[in-house]
Amino acid sequence: MKLNPRLSRRNVLLGALQGATLIVLSGCEKLFDSLSQNKNVQSMLEVAEQGSRRAQRLLTRRNKLAKEFDPKDISPKFRPNGNPPPITMDYTADAQNHWTKWRLEVSGLVKQSASFSLADLQAMPSRTQITRHDCVEGWSVIGKWKGVRLEEIINRVEPASDAKYVVFRCMDTDSDGVNYFESIDMIDAVHPQTILAYELNDQPLPIENGAPLRLRVETQLGYKHAKYIRALEFVSKLEKIGQGKGGYWEDQGYEWYAGI
Amino acid sequence: MILFMSGLGIFNAHPYLYWGSTSDPDKAFFSIGASQDDGDARGFVDFYGRKIDTTGFLGVQQGVFGPFARAFPSWLTVPGYYSLAAARRWHFFFGWLFAITGIIYLFYNFAAGHIRKFFFTLYDAKKVPAMAAYYLRIRKNSPQEGEYNPLQKMAYTGVFIILAPLVLLSGMAMSPQLNVAFHWLPAAFGGRQSARAIHFILAFGFLFFALGHVLMVLTQGFFNNMRSMTSGWYKEKIPLAIQTMPEPSPSQAASVSSEQEREKINEAQS
Repeated sequence: MKLNPRLSRRNVLLGALQGATLIVLSGCEKLFDSLSQNKNVQSMLEVAEQGSRRAQRLLTRRNKLAKEFDPKDISPKFRPNGNPPPITMDYTADAQNHWTKWRLEVSGLVKQSASFSLADLQAMPSRTQITRHDCVEGWSVIGKWKGVRLEEIINRVEPASDAKYVVFRCMDTDSDGVNYFESIDMIDAVHPQTILAYELNDQPLPIENGAPLRLRVETQLGYKHAKYIRALEFVSKLEKIGQGKGGYWEDQGYEWYAGI
Repeated sequence: MILFMSGLGIFNAHPYLYWGSTSDPDKAFFSIGASQDDGDARGFVDFYGRKIDTTGFLGVQQGVFGPFARAFPSWLTVPGYYSLAAARRWHFFFGWLFAITGIIYLFYNFAAGHIRKFFFTLYDAKKVPAMAAYYLRIRKNSPQEGEYNPLQKMAYTGVFIILAPLVLLSGMAMSPQLNVAFHWLPAAFGGRQSARAIHFILAFGFLFFALGHVLMVLTQGFFNNMRSMTSGWYKEKIPLAIQTMPEPSPSQAASVSSEQEREKINEAQS
């Protein structure tokens, strides 16, 4: 019998090594896929989120401002992202009527509920800031925002002492009809740069960027910046809202604390 | 490895790199993409306008339902399926482990004075060519002195003192909250998008160090290295080898040759 010259010991070993590598790689892929969906592993990984929040908050002086840029730094286009704008008749008609029907409803754990028209908000003291917007995907754009500080609203409705979060109810939905919502805690809510913006780059807030009103919370990533806001709710717990994680993207596995 | 692979998973969410603070879509210097020319899905890497076709590896991957667009293939990312949320969870958990163990390691090495043993100095720089010649098998005898040779010092200093802190800092420079806390942090890297690009490039520096390190361990005696790493005992090879390695005895030599002979006979018979 003639030995196959290609079947030397070295080649067999090399082949076995390659085979083993492939098996290990595909095994690793399957392992990490199932680990990523395992509840216990998830809760272990979530420890990091709490660590990041505590450590980063510890390192940030309260009311320290995010860097504000020069007008020349403003990006040529402010890239919109997320769900498409609401397409209901009410929304479209109101957009053409300069938001005369739209109201911002404020309720929950507050001394007095309130309702504001866009003109009401525009009549309040405003803040203008040129800031960088960072998407969780990795891109960044710089835009100029004008709006009313959230603390201004807070001062008017006087939240109870057990109000820990502000929940933003939005008008946009995903393809399954799930409404967008978001929440931030009171530390970020009273930050001087946390504003409800109604202008982008000296123009009324465009539809694609969240008209008539959107949140700017400069300490966190883009998905926290709720667009198409219709109501604010002050709550003590997030468990009963949506699927209980405090936001539309959070319900799909993203961190509630998006400062990282 | 998990940090690297989950990092690639995060990169897949926006497979473009830019210099500066912002990401103007047409100003990316590096991107991985997919195009559909005449019905044929092609993957490519774009580096400063030069396109390299990487179909099947980067940009376009073969799936069960045919080719699909994906920057880094699923066998290189954690998790394998596309999930930015899950990749971020993995990345930040192991990022914390990396930071904590790294700081303890460096602190311990400074405190114990161990760092002097592998700190690369100008003195070592002069010895690099001789050592490199030995590694490349141009030179027979190792010019080694001390516990670490100049090339090892260069690698360890580069990775532990320069690469590790920089990869951590460039990662932190992408955090909006830390950007508020430390305005100088993204600025030090030339803006948040530059920090992202640098973070990406440094990650590959780590990969090459890890691959080189494993290669060295494998070629220089796997079991001996494993023992030294865990117990601290490393069997010195050079002096012992001279004493104990016997000259091949005539009988052994004979048996080898007879085996070869037999093989030849077998071949002839078949």
